[in-house]
Amino acid sequence: MSGVLLEIENVSVEVEGRLVVQGVSLAVDRGEVHVLLGPNGSGKTTLLRAIMGLPGYRVEGRLLFEGRELNGLKPHERARLGIALMHQNPRPLSVKLSHLAREISRRFGTPLDVLRDFALDSLMEREAFKGFSGGEAKKAELALTILQRPKLAMLDEPDSGVDLESLKVVGRAINRLAEGGAGVLLVTHTGAIIEYLRRVTAAHVIVRGRIVASGDAETVLEAVKRKGYEVLARGGIP
Amino acid sequence: MSFLEKTVDAGSTALYLQRNYEIVRQLLAKGLAERGFILEPLKKAVEREWVRKLLWTALPERDVGLSGAFVYVPPGVSLRAPVSTCFVVSEGAQEVHNVLVVGEGSELVVLSTCTSAGKGSLHAGYTEIFLERGAKLDYVIVHAWAKNTDVVAETGVVVGEGASLNDVYISLRSPRSLRESTRITVRRGGSALASSLYLAGSGSSTLETIVTLEEEGASAEVDSKIVAASGSFVSNPITIEAKAPNTRGHVECRGLQLSPDSVIVTAPALRSARGGAQLTHEAAIGKISDEELAYLMTKGFSEEEAASMLVRGFLELGLKSVPEPLKPQISSILDLMAKFATG
Repeated sequence: MSGVLLEIENVSVEVEGRLVVQGVSLAVDRGEVHVLLGPNGSGKTTLLRAIMGLPGYRVEGRLLFEGRELNGLKPHERARLGIALMHQNPRPLSVKLSHLAREISRRFGTPLDVLRDFALDSLMEREAFKGFSGGEAKKAELALTILQRPKLAMLDEPDSGVDLESLKVVGRAINRLAEGGAGVLLVTHTGAIIEYLRRVTAAHVIVRGRIVASGDAETVLEAVKRKGYEVLARGGIP
Repeated sequence: MSFLEKTVDAGSTALYLQRNYEIVRQLLAKGLAERGFILEPLKKAVEREWVRKLLWTALPERDVGLSGAFVYVPPGVSLRAPVSTCFVVSEGAQEVHNVLVVGEGSELVVLSTCTSAGKGSLHAGYTEIFLERGAKLDYVIVHAWAKNTDVVAETGVVVGEGASLNDVYISLRSPRSLRESTRITVRRGGSALASSLYLAGSGSSTLETIVTLEEEGASAEVDSKIVAASGSFVSNPITIEAKAPNTRGHVECRGLQLSPDSVIVTAPALRSARGGAQLTHEAAIGKISDEELAYLMTKGFSEEEAASMLVRGFLELGLKSVPEPLKPQISSILDLMAKFATG
């Protein structure tokens, strides 16, 4: 293994001819938890989806995973390298959750009992994500992400639309991921998840596709609360 | 031994295997004959007058000989392990006529498989099923055909008073041409659930289901799932007709087109001859969603694997009731279908 787990160098992402992410650089190493904060539409989700290699995201700049260039690799090839994306709102699938979980566990050689903490029993024989509540969908999607045994877990708003009880479950799972050595890149709109995380390496503020501030989570969150995203975008953290 | 023959062989109560016109195996678990259970060639069974009288009462009469199986379950017998029948055509044409009678209050699971190999060019199968009062039947038909075979399959079922039928038709390899027809008549308080999963390769197939809710309190649900691969044409007319009040029926047909040169025609029809019937239908044809494919690719599956999973899911969700003893076999069959569908 060489280099940092994930290195993003001067990355810009275009979606349907529109530049959504501009000149972003970021590095996430093993066991680190990086939080991306930003207003709606600032490019947080786009950045994660571009790193995953989803179709429709045109990337310029360098994306390196364990020193290897990701450009040109399809999403499943990136997933097999150890990159996992927890989708923000997975659309209903015409596949039973139990079957999906079984296939992922077979693919990555992980035991299904990692799902136990998520209390998904009542959902397993249903079509995945069809009619799930916000909390159920987040827990199921996070559970599937963990089942991939990722080296890098990219979590897109694991805390939005989630009740307090589910938030604790989600927080515990993220802590275990990081403590197990995975790098975590977490997008949050509200920051609600942060108080449940035992370790946050750094927080970054992204506004209109650019990282406008980075620092330790407490300072960055405080600055966001005090000044708002727009002021930070103009002047950074003093 | 083929996959289907192995499936038939696994843990059956009774087994009947016919290749062309030859009965290859005929087994009955110990003690069943003493309890009045009958499994024998139809040719022998018609020596009983009551059997002779049943012929062609659940289906329109055809000019077909007496090759085929007769199964009789006496009243009050509940068999959990399946009765398996298997018909293989490997040379020319095969015409079979089967009759199954489930006595009052009895419960039975049947796995019936039909397949062709080698020079088998025509299979014509006619099956008549009679469920007496309060009887319960899970009837699973699995077809797997060679490309050079033409198939005619007709099934007629009379669901007696308070009886219940769970009919599952699965075709994992379609033939050159197929005309499949299921006619179900439901009597007072009886219920029928007819599910079909059809994977269509190149060729032309007609799958027709006609359910008649003959008497008060009868109910039926017909669920059809068609996966159409390249060069396939599938016509799927389904009719529920209510002839009595206080009856319920629902038709659901869904088609999944894997290729732009495939054709699916779904035609659900509801007919109510008396007031007081509640009949509904839903139909939809679509293709595999790009978003679902992309999602599954982020979970580590190649595009082909993702498509295969989605096909399997589409089919599996069409099965509302799978008889417990056949769950493992049906799961393997769904895996095979998903694999065949996506190359």
